[in-house]
Parts: sequence; C-alpha cells; structure tokens
Amino acid sequence: MTKFYEIGQRPSEIILHPDGDAPLHRRRLPFTRRHLLKWRSRTNPKSLQQERMLADKRPLWWALGLGALAITAPFLTNASLTIAAIFCMFAAINVLWTLVIGTAGIFSLATLAIVGIGAYASAGLNVYLGLPWPLMFVAGGVAGLIVGGFLALPSTRLDGLYYALLTMGFAEICRVFVQQLKALTAANGAINNVGSFIPEDWQLQRPGLLLGFAGAFVILLLALLIFRIVNSERLGMLLQTAREDEAFAEATGIDYRRARLMVFLISSTGLGVIGAFYAQFYGSISPSIFSLDQLMLLFAMIVIGGLGRSEGAVIGTAIVVLIDKGLLGLGPLRILLVAAIMLAVTLFAHNGLVGIREQFRGWRNRKKSEARARRTEKGGEVMPEEAIEFADKQEIYYRRFQKRLRDRLKALITPELIEEHRLRPLGQHSDALNRVLNHFRRGEVADKYAIMRQPDQFHAYKIVAFSGVRGAPPRLVDDKIYDDINQAYHAVFLLRVNDLMES
Amino acid sequence: MTNARIFGYADPLNARAGGQVDFMISVEGRDQVEMELVRALHGDENPDGPGFLEEVIPLGLPKTLQVARQFTQVGSFARAQDPEGRLDGLHSFTLFAHVFPTLPKAERQQIIGRWDIEGSKGFGLGIDPDGHVAMWVGDGAGVDEIRSEIILVPRCWYFIAASFDGASKQANLHVISCVSPWNGRISTVVPLQTDTWVSETLRHAPTATKGDASFKLASATAFNPVRGHFGAFLFNGKIDRSGVYTRALARPDIEALAKGTDPSQQDLLTYWDPTVNLTATGVGDIIPDTGPHGLHMHGVNRPVRCMTGFNWKGEDSYRLAPETYGGVHYHDDAMTDCGWKVSYSMTLPESLKSGIYCLRLRGGGGEDHIPFIVRPAKPQAKIAFLLPTFTYLAYANEHLAYEAPIAQAITAHTPVIVAEDLEYKKLEEFGLSTYDHHTDGAGCCYSSWRRPVISMRPRYRMPAMNFPWALPADLSLIWWLDHVGYDYDVLTDHDLHAEGAAALAPYKVVLNGTHPEYYSEQMMDGTEAYLAAGGRVMYLGGNGYYWVTGTREAEPHCIEVRKLDSGSRAWQAEPGEGYLASTGQRSGLWRNRGRAPQKIVGLGFTTEGMDESQPFERMPDSFHRRASWIMAGIGEEELIGDFGLAGGGAGGIELDRYELGLGTPPHTLLLAATIGHSDNYPLVSEEVTYAFPGRGGTQDAQVRGDMIYFTTPNHGAVFAAGSIAWSQALPCRGGENNVARIMRNVLNAFLQDGALPGSQYVGDEVLWR
Repeated sequence: MTKFYEIGQRPSEIILHPDGDAPLHRRRLPFTRRHLLKWRSRTNPKSLQQERMLADKRPLWWALGLGALAITAPFLTNASLTIAAIFCMFAAINVLWTLVIGTAGIFSLATLAIVGIGAYASAGLNVYLGLPWPLMFVAGGVAGLIVGGFLALPSTRLDGLYYALLTMGFAEICRVFVQQLKALTAANGAINNVGSFIPEDWQLQRPGLLLGFAGAFVILLLALLIFRIVNSERLGMLLQTAREDEAFAEATGIDYRRARLMVFLISSTGLGVIGAFYAQFYGSISPSIFSLDQLMLLFAMIVIGGLGRSEGAVIGTAIVVLIDKGLLGLGPLRILLVAAIMLAVTLFAHNGLVGIREQFRGWRNRKKSEARARRTEKGGEVMPEEAIEFADKQEIYYRRFQKRLRDRLKALITPELIEEHRLRPLGQHSDALNRVLNHFRRGEVADKYAIMRQPDQFHAYKIVAFSGVRGAPPRLVDDKIYDDINQAYHAVFLLRVNDLMES
Repeated sequence: MTNARIFGYADPLNARAGGQVDFMISVEGRDQVEMELVRALHGDENPDGPGFLEEVIPLGLPKTLQVARQFTQVGSFARAQDPEGRLDGLHSFTLFAHVFPTLPKAERQQIIGRWDIEGSKGFGLGIDPDGHVAMWVGDGAGVDEIRSEIILVPRCWYFIAASFDGASKQANLHVISCVSPWNGRISTVVPLQTDTWVSETLRHAPTATKGDASFKLASATAFNPVRGHFGAFLFNGKIDRSGVYTRALARPDIEALAKGTDPSQQDLLTYWDPTVNLTATGVGDIIPDTGPHGLHMHGVNRPVRCMTGFNWKGEDSYRLAPETYGGVHYHDDAMTDCGWKVSYSMTLPESLKSGIYCLRLRGGGGEDHIPFIVRPAKPQAKIAFLLPTFTYLAYANEHLAYEAPIAQAITAHTPVIVAEDLEYKKLEEFGLSTYDHHTDGAGCCYSSWRRPVISMRPRYRMPAMNFPWALPADLSLIWWLDHVGYDYDVLTDHDLHAEGAAALAPYKVVLNGTHPEYYSEQMMDGTEAYLAAGGRVMYLGGNGYYWVTGTREAEPHCIEVRKLDSGSRAWQAEPGEGYLASTGQRSGLWRNRGRAPQKIVGLGFTTEGMDESQPFERMPDSFHRRASWIMAGIGEEELIGDFGLAGGGAGGIELDRYELGLGTPPHTLLLAATIGHSDNYPLVSEEVTYAFPGRGGTQDAQVRGDMIYFTTPNHGAVFAAGSIAWSQALPCRGGENNVARIMRNVLNAFLQDGALPGSQYVGDEVLWR
C-alpha cells in the first residue's frame, strides 16, 4: 500500500500585491539601466493573484549586516573596535582577492605582497619624500598597479599550481628584499611614523580608533563596490562565459585572457590602495606583511567562507579575525582552532560556509528523489507531491488510465497474437489484436515508430522513430533493411510489443 | 545524399496551351541546372502497376538554366504603407492595441512598432522572451526596455499600451485585461489579476530607422546581407484595433481606449480598424487606417481576417456584427506566397497536348519535378478529366504523419516516409496544408500553389498511408486513358471555379479525380448546371463535394477553408470564426449548407479507412436493363476490383454511400457495393448523432462504398463509384481488368450523342418471377 501524504504550504516570504490600476514606479540607479533591488513578479498559479517579491535578497542581508556593524561600532570596547577595524581591512583584501581567484580565475598568492608593496611604497614616499597622506592612496594604487602588471604577465602562461608557487615565491622575495634594505636595517625592515588620516594626537585614543574603524569600513565598502561593478558589468559577464566554456567564449570572440588581466590589474590597484591605508592605520609597516603565516591565515579566511563569493570572503574573514584577534587568551590554541574549522569546512562543505545553503538544498533534493523513486514507478500512479508539477490535471488521469490499460493489454500478448499479426499486419484482426494495435496507434508522436523507404528500390525499408518536433528529423531505430513492407510493419509491431511489456 | 537542393513552383498551376507559365526556382549548391519538359504518364512506383512513367517533350527549351538561392518570408504580419515616414522618428508617442496572444515562446514577439533588429533602432511594443509585455526603444547605440510585472495568459484578450515622453524619457506601460464571458478561452469566473501599469524613466530614446525598418503589426524588421530585409520577431495571436498617438496618453485616455470607445482625434496619428472594410463578400489583406493620413496596413502571407475581436458577443458570423470582428490572426509559420523571382518563363505551344506536365530540373545529383497542368487552347476531346486542384492544394505539404497523434489510428498504418519528405519538413519553409496546425495550435485555413508542394510531385506517396494521394493518384487514371487510347482534355478545379458550367459544357463526359473533396460554390453550381443541361459525369472518387471552399476574386492561387462543426476535420474553427474571409460564405461541410454531395452525384462520404480495400459486389439493380450494359462482360457474382494500388482493392480509402435522406436522386440504381470492411472503417462523424459502439465496418451496414447510376435531364447521367481506390485499380493487370471493363462500358456509352443505353426501359416491369 502506498501512503499518500498531504502537501501544501503557506507562503514563506514577504509578498507585495501591486495594484493593476495604479502606476508602479521603477526607480533606477543614476546613469544606469539598473534597479536598486531585483524584484520578481508572477501570477501565483494557485491563487492567480499578482505577487511581487524580492528576487535577490542578498542586498538586504548585506545592508543588515554592514548596518549592524556600523551602528554597534561606537559602543564597542577599544579592543573590539580594533578587531572590527582589522576585520574590515582584511575583509576588503579578501574581497579583492576573491575577484582575482573567483572572477578572473587566476590562482594568485601575491595578494599580501601587493598590499605590502603598496604600503611600503606609499609609506616610504611619505616618510622620506614628505608626500602628504591623502596622496599616499594614489601612490599605493600606482604601486599596486605596476606590480600587478608585472605579476599578470606570467599568469596566462603558467598553470594554476605553478602560478601559485611563483606568486608565493614573489612574496618571499619581497620580504627578504625589504629586510636586507640598508636604509631600513635600523628598524628591522620596518618604516615607522608614517603619516595618517588619523591625527597624531588621536593615535590610540578613542576618537582615533573610531576614525580608524570608519576608514576601514569605507575601504570595505569600496572593495565591495568594485567587486559588484566588475562582476555585474561587461568584464564580469565576459569572464562568466569564459568560466562556463573557454572554447565557446573564444569562438564567440570573447578575449577572456585580456578580461582576466584587466580584473587582475583592477584588484591589484585596489590592493595597493589598501596597502597605503594599512600603513596609515598602523602608522608603520613591517616585513611581516609578506610573511607566509599571514598569507596562510588569509587563505584560511576565504576557504572557510567559500571561494568566489564576496559573502564568503567577508564571513570567513569575520570568523578567523574573531578567533585570531578576539580569543588572544587561547594562545597558540586559537591557530589550531582556525585549522580545525578550516579542515571541517573543507571536509563537509562543498564551497565554504556560504555554499551550505545550496548544499543543503541539493541534499534535500536528493533525498526527495530517493523517496520518490521508492514510492513511484515510471508511467505509474501520480503521487500528490508530483501532481503539483502538472498544469493539466487531466494528464494525471491519463497516466492512471494508461497504466491500467497497459496492464490489461499485456495479458493479451501471446505467441498466437503475434503470429496473427505477422501473417496479416493490415486488415481486420481479432478483438485482442485490435485492442493492442489501437493502443499503439494512438500514442503520442514523439518517439513513435515509422518506416522509412530507402532510395533506389521500391521495397526496402528501415525502422525510424519520429522526433515529435516540427522540422526535427526522425531517428534511426534499427539499421536492418526489410525488403517486404509487411515484414517492416511486423518489425514495428514487435518493437511496440517489447516497449509495452517493458513498461 | 545529393549535394544540390532544388525547389520550385509554377504559376499558374493551371496553364493553357498557347499560354505562359512562370517557374520560380531556388537552388542551393549550384548555379545552373539541366532543364527538360516532361509529361507525367504515371506516378506510383509500385511494381504491381506500370511504375513511374514520363515522356520528354522536345520543345527546344534551353538545356540548362541559371539559378540561384531564393528566400522565403515565413510568417504573417502587416506592414503600414507610409511612404512619407510619418511613423518614423516619433519623439513622444503612444502605441496601443487590443491583443489576444496565443503562444508564449522563446523568441521576442513584436505586436506593433518600427524596430530595426540589427541596428537596434526605433521602437516596438510586444512580448519579451519570458512572456512579459514590453516596449523596447533604441537609438542605435543603446537599447532600453520597460516591461510588465506579469506574463500574459494565452488566449485571453488584453488591451496593451505603451507611451513614451521624448522630453523626460518617461515611459508608461499599461496592460488591461478584457476577459468577457464570450471572448476567450476562460471566463470572468477565473480570479486572474492581470492588470499592470508600470512607469519608468528610460536612458535611451528611439531614433528614426529610415529605410532599415518599416512600421509593422506582428513583426519587426531583420536584415541579412544576402537576403535583405525581412520580417522577424513574429507574433502569434490576434490583434484587433491598434494605433499610434503622437503624445504620451494619460491614464483616462488609456482606459477609454481599452473599453473600445472611439479614439479621441487629438494627436491621433493612425488608427487601424480591421472591422471597417469587412464586406458581405469577404475582405482582402488591407487593414484600413481611419486616422487623418490613411496609412493603411497591408497583410503579408494572409493574416487571417473575419476573426472574433475583444468585444465579440457570440454572433455566428462577422456579417451579423462586423464591429465585433476586429480580430486578425497572425501566425509565425503562415506562408501563402514564396514571392520568388521568376527563374524561367515558358510560352506553351498552342498544339501542346493537354495533360499533367513537369519542368524536370536536374543537377548535382538533385532532381525536382515542378508540376503544372495544361488544358488545351480550345476544347479538343469529348472527355474532360477534371483534376481536383483545390484538393491538391488542401493537402499540399501536409504534416499528418509527422504531427497528428491520431493519424496512425485513423489510417491503421505505420507511416512510410522518404528522404525527400524529410528535406521539406526540415526546412519548414514551404508552408502548411489545411490539415495542419499553426505553431499556436490554430488550424491552417489557407493553402497556395505559390510555393514548392512536394505532395504534387508525381512519385509522391502520402506517408500516413503509403500510397499516392491526389495528383499522383490521379495519374493512374491518366495512364489508363492513354493506355486505352481515349482522347481527353484535362481541366482543373480552378478552371471550373473561374468559368462555371461553361468550362464543362464543351465535353460529353467529365471524369472526376480520385478525391474531389474541396468545392467552391461556383464549382458546385457549374457541375450541377452541366448535369442539368445533359452533361455526363463519372464521379470516380471518395469524399467528394465536401468542404465549402473559396478563393479571393482574381487570386486563384490560394484557397481558403474553415473546418467546423462536423465532418472529418483535422481542426475546428473557433466559435464565430467559420466564415470564409475570401468570399464571406459560411464554410464547413456542403451538406450543412443544404447541398449534400448526394444531391449532385448521388453519393456522399460515409467512411474511411486505410488498412485494406475491398472489391465491389454486384447488386440486383445492376441486372436491370436500364444499367445492365454497364456490367457487360462482368460475371454475375464476379468480384469487381479485388486488386488495386491503394489497399489492394477498388473499394476503399474513403468511401461514399447512396442515401435518399441526403438527396440521392430517387431513380438512382444501386449497381454494386463493397462489403466486408474492417473496423478500421468507422462511420464518419457527421453521421453520428448519438455515439454507441459498433459503428465499424464489421457491424454497421452504412460502412460501404456504393456504385450507382442515374440519369439527369437532357440525356445527362451520372455514373458514380464512390471510392478513392477505384482509379488506382485501373493500372493493375496491364490495364485490362474488370474495373477497366466497367469504365470502358460507361465511357463508350457516355461518349455517344443522344439517348443513353437502357434509357428506354422505363416501363413498369411485368414479372413472372
């Protein structure tokens, strides 16, 4: 006995019902054809009412999350405020890195190296040449762009792993270079007393911390904006096509290599600017920025969050920064904790924490299919949970009817009946054969058998099956050539009997 | 396979010796083909008959012909005649229309507008690939769009309007449902909430398209460097009244238009009202503009007119309430005229023998026979073979075996297809038959000869039944007439339609083809008048004089039929849409208009089946001296036609029955009848009032084919063998068989002037037995 379960659900999201006789004003972002939010409207197939709902709720979650951070920041302790600022800074770095790894598909590990070079370049110009602090951002950006340009060149020539090694080596070279610079040996490779957007006397004071956080927050917002613009504009779309099928993209004239380099340069410039900010935030810059352990921590962030998505970069950063800087009391254990989380995420999640939702849905779908496979048979009774997929409910009845009809017809198939057809495929038949044939003849056109006359001979036939689609030719079922039309009719009959018995 | 594809058609299909025929030819893969004129002698390649025969007619035609690829515009739409470009480069405007969409599809569909697809210029209002109503505008550099919230429900009437203000670039899009108890698939009980009004400021404003696009209904303008401009973004569905204002209309004006009130004249540029030129004798392709400039729309590929509009209230005909028949149905697969350039024009010699001819083209391994029919310059013979060209067109390029799930159940056959057929079906360029459905499911009511028609090629076999049908089948009678040596002229339905009884009057005998199913009023009248004036008809077909068919005056190439209410119908016209736009007449079956075929030739359609045919058996009337001469040489219990190229018998495929109740003349003699049909021959639906089991050949006595004879005034007469398979039995056994024997008996007698044999035996019988 099959158990029938009740189905049906209340709406699970907020639904607006626009009026048909009042104007719905769609506002656009200035100078674009884009709307601020992506809405989805539909006629509810159950109520036939118009419904309008948010199709993409991510902007909502972003606004809530970032808004909460901005509002709570003034109430945080000094230590927490610093952690929040560091979080913002690293989140910004990771968002831009995600652009390189995810969007451009270049597996670069030189991220922190570029940040460091941006920091050193701008700090050096500030300290030794007296460059005012606002121009440090420009200097950092230019430095990032130049280094990015050099690093980009081999990216199209080297495969993923080798390029990763190359960029890691580059970071190490930077560290050694900086440490061996004679000018900096006194400070152990560091540049101190860097000018900053934080006034001198506010340093390490409450207002200075607040300003530092605000700056880091703005940097994060800018990084997110760049991420969004690159991904949703032409560049990102070209690369999305290339990600799906490189050969196809190339064939349609998409120069995805160029697009990748462009993305790399954009994010390098951004990282250079962050470097300048980094130096100003701390008021100094030291070679540890190039160190492997920093890089690995950064790597842990995007792996935990999930590769390729800005949400992943930010959430991963939040978790790792909280553990690394927030749980200082745990000592070295906290590094083990990060490693454990990273291990757990890679073991159990397909694409970090942000992929969990999709992963869960996939798992539920698989469970659903398994349950269905247990409960239903092909061409058999339609279950209530399947019935919602039928717009024409009559089809459900047809399924029931055809199933029972087939069961009755199967009982009629005997060697005598097949012999009767072989002897006389056309004309008046016994009641049993008539019923079987009529069932066959009334079937849908798609995949229905037909006979194809072969050229150059009147009696030469092959069996084909119709496509059921206008203009789409039939497919060949069997290469055998029949030289008698009655044999061909009978061959089709045998195929159909076979299909019936197997159903 | 071949590396050249050759297609062509002849215009006119019904030529006359001494006249001219144009050949429109398209060839891919070659630029020249060999050309020869041939006369078709027999088509069916079945080895049981004479096989495929043709003779080359040495007319001294050029041996080769320069040819090129020609393109076909598929899909119906309407184009505004706007030489001054008043509809171009509008600054502020409102486009509006009442529409009845029938098919959401993956391609954009333009309802109204002037849109240059390649150049992204102009403006268009239509349905986007997701099914939303949308207006798109473009200035060549950028495109912008405003689209509705929801998608349209197929087969409901809507009013849609889009306005654009050139100064502010503010666009408004209005969709207002017009569902009434009468006008669509669903009624007002459905709680559908479909109205929408969207307002949005666009970034781009439309620019003038100039010559790169034209203002069209149901299509936008595409361009291909080889082909030039053509219609694309084709719309499926009906468009009622539509128009353009040169300002952005406010909501109250929009609501007034939606209700169907007359448009205010202020800033009205055009108002296309399809109802104003409907006449009692039909309507042409022009959709009049009642606005100030008279920028009328011209239909391409026959948009279907006289269709119910948004305000229809159940009247049976456009003639009763024309103001409710603004519907014009557009189809993206309608094709009534390939419009190809003439590739070769042939002047036929006066002395050319009347017959079925083909221009045979060969090249690159490809071959095509372009058929056309030649009647003599002046009537020459006493026998006329009336080729049912209306029926040829009705079945032209039919898709039954490929598309109709019930086709195999009707024919009780597995279809047999050939590669040439697939080539046609693959192209989907050469249009549909009146047995097919358009992509939106509506029946196809137009069929034309201005396109390559594979089903008129002499060797063609109808896939659904695996024997020749219509023209290829009629070649069996041609072969037999030639074989016996009768002198005959061929005529066509189109000649009879154009000239009426005058076309038949010069002939002693008129022979029908195997399937004269589609008849116009002129053809019915002509046949009846011919018989009443002493003409003699041999009705040698099944299911004749069946559908009310028409053509527009002076446009014989395209027939129209609306299938409705009853009869064996491949589709059914929607309520209120059963009248012919070509003539204004009610279509459907002639029997439903008081002219059952029995009233003319004594027999009418009773059953069809394609599994196997049966012979005729003599009935007692065949021994009456009035008609026994017909059976001279036939044994008393001899089976007549237990052979044949169609189903193996002379009685089968589609069969007609004697029925006094439907008007068979009361003095008709029932000479013979078929018996023993299978249950795959059911009684036809127009005979079924209550449905009950047992209406098949093994149980119902009305399932049979009859052979009859009756006289008409002035020594006229009708001999009728109501079976499609009859003529296809003639070529069997070398053309010498008992079907042929009967044919000779009747033909020889009918060719004599004066009283018919047996006509003296009208006394009361004095009997001893």
